[in-house]
Amino acid sequence: MVAEPTLRDTFGDYLIEVGQKNKDIVVLDADLSASTRTNKFAKKFPQRFFNMGIAEQNMLGTALGFAISGKIPVVSGFSIFTTGRAWEFIRFACHDNLNVKIITTHGGIVGQDGSTHNALEDLSLMGSLPNINVLVPSDNIELIKILEFAFKTEGTFYVRLPRGSFPRIHNNSYNFKIGKPDILKEGKDICLIGIGYGTVLAYDSALTIEKELNLSIKLINLPTVKPIDEEALISAINDVKGIIVLEEHNIYCGFGSIIARIISKEHIKKIRVIGINDKFAQSGKRETVLNAYKLNKQNLLRQIKKIIN
Amino acid sequence: MELTKADEKKILVDILDIKKDILTMIYKTQSGHPGGSLSCVNIIYLLYYKIMRINFQNPTWKERDIFILSKGHAAPALYAVLSKFGFIKRDELFTLREFNSKLQGHPVKNPEFGIEISTGSLGMGLSVGVGCALSAKLDNSNKYIYVLLGDGELNEGAIWEAAMSANHFKLDNLIAIVDRNGLQIDGSTEEIMALEPLGKKWKAFGWEVIEVDGSNLTNIFQGFKRSKSIIGKPKVIISYLIKGSEISFMQHTREFHGRAPNKVEYEAALKELDNIKEELLGGF
Repeated sequence: MVAEPTLRDTFGDYLIEVGQKNKDIVVLDADLSASTRTNKFAKKFPQRFFNMGIAEQNMLGTALGFAISGKIPVVSGFSIFTTGRAWEFIRFACHDNLNVKIITTHGGIVGQDGSTHNALEDLSLMGSLPNINVLVPSDNIELIKILEFAFKTEGTFYVRLPRGSFPRIHNNSYNFKIGKPDILKEGKDICLIGIGYGTVLAYDSALTIEKELNLSIKLINLPTVKPIDEEALISAINDVKGIIVLEEHNIYCGFGSIIARIISKEHIKKIRVIGINDKFAQSGKRETVLNAYKLNKQNLLRQIKKIIN
Repeated sequence: MELTKADEKKILVDILDIKKDILTMIYKTQSGHPGGSLSCVNIIYLLYYKIMRINFQNPTWKERDIFILSKGHAAPALYAVLSKFGFIKRDELFTLREFNSKLQGHPVKNPEFGIEISTGSLGMGLSVGVGCALSAKLDNSNKYIYVLLGDGELNEGAIWEAAMSANHFKLDNLIAIVDRNGLQIDGSTEEIMALEPLGKKWKAFGWEVIEVDGSNLTNIFQGFKRSKSIIGKPKVIISYLIKGSEISFMQHTREFHGRAPNKVEYEAALKELDNIKEELLGGF
């Protein structure tokens, strides 16, 4: 069996493809091009690649300048440094509705680099900005669909990729529609709503949990923090008894908070959020860290039991 | 391209009118930054009148030079100059800072008005200029990018990131202007966060440094001319001027950095500008 490529490799390859077609695309990186895989683009199109050094603010500011000059800047780097250090520059991209594509890697738990490099706050930082599109793929197929959408749609985008790979959930016929819930499995008792690795975890756990607890689970992948088609989401969870949101992010001001706000417009339902509970987390093998902070199947099982009992 | 004596007189008269408009705008809405607006009028006016390649009939002309007002709090100066050159209707000036006005407290992107990007949060404009300059190079365009910086905003680290990168990419199509008026909100720049030796700092970052007297139009004009003649590196024009020096009682005080004049002050300031204008016209 061929191992699934990392999402950053898929991104790096896609940049070459889209860069070939669209000469207005320029790529900026902050001395991390080998890690983010923008070095593939740099090798192919050196004239359109700009290594901005370890200076995220200036990288984003430069991207704004490219955007107002009619170029399509792709800005890459590690998720937390790009969104955190340069947040206000991104705010201006959104303020002026500029065509800037911020696509970062090392989102969520990075593993051995540890707490300083984890991005567990980036989705709230980006999600609070008007005009932006915030997307997190759950596999390579979804990533390609997201990138295709981002490059054919004018506007500011933040796409967050992990350092590693995710197993394949979708097939090529996947019909990605921005903001719409992607229903992976029907069910009537509990609905799991995942984003990014949250979807991976839900997908991997749903069938065995159904058997263990003898209940029916609905599984929704929602790859956007914003925009979200609120009506579509509300009607998708109409019949279930309880909801669990899964995200690789701080649960304070994260994706789960947004979902809870939307659902509470129409429903009184039990909603629980599985993510990182207000911690920066620490170094370790990714698997170990995810388990230590309870982003795992055992916790999902426990939370479902709490809802049904 | 030269600045003739006739040019100079026309500019002086125009600038006096613009200064009156600035004071009226700020007085009417009772909020805004008179000091930092008045101190950079000469620069902005000269850019639009003599220096920049622009099409007054077509503000979004593709080959236009780009102006970025990084010190966005000088918005009244920009609006008043843009109005003088027909981008903004004069009546509209006096809607400054009001709800639904296109003339927001700090500039909001409006290409039809010649406002390329929103500014106001300090320290961001030079990076934007770097992006515009790189883009122009990529397109083999010979356009120039002008970024007007306040001296106070040079406290921001992002300015120096941008300065480093402009040198790295040899952006000789990028011309920064520092409005060196010596005051920021809380006091003198040297008291709050010392900038000197400012010229040496820019030079150490690889920039060509041109120092001009910001109150002397010919001097500023020559500075721009010289800046365009230097190739292979970015250029900064440091324009020295005493903040508030245009109005006798505003000079040497930080009070008018961010406060609107009251009725008595406003009328006195207008009278002073009218007297200067009268004297000037008498000399024609």
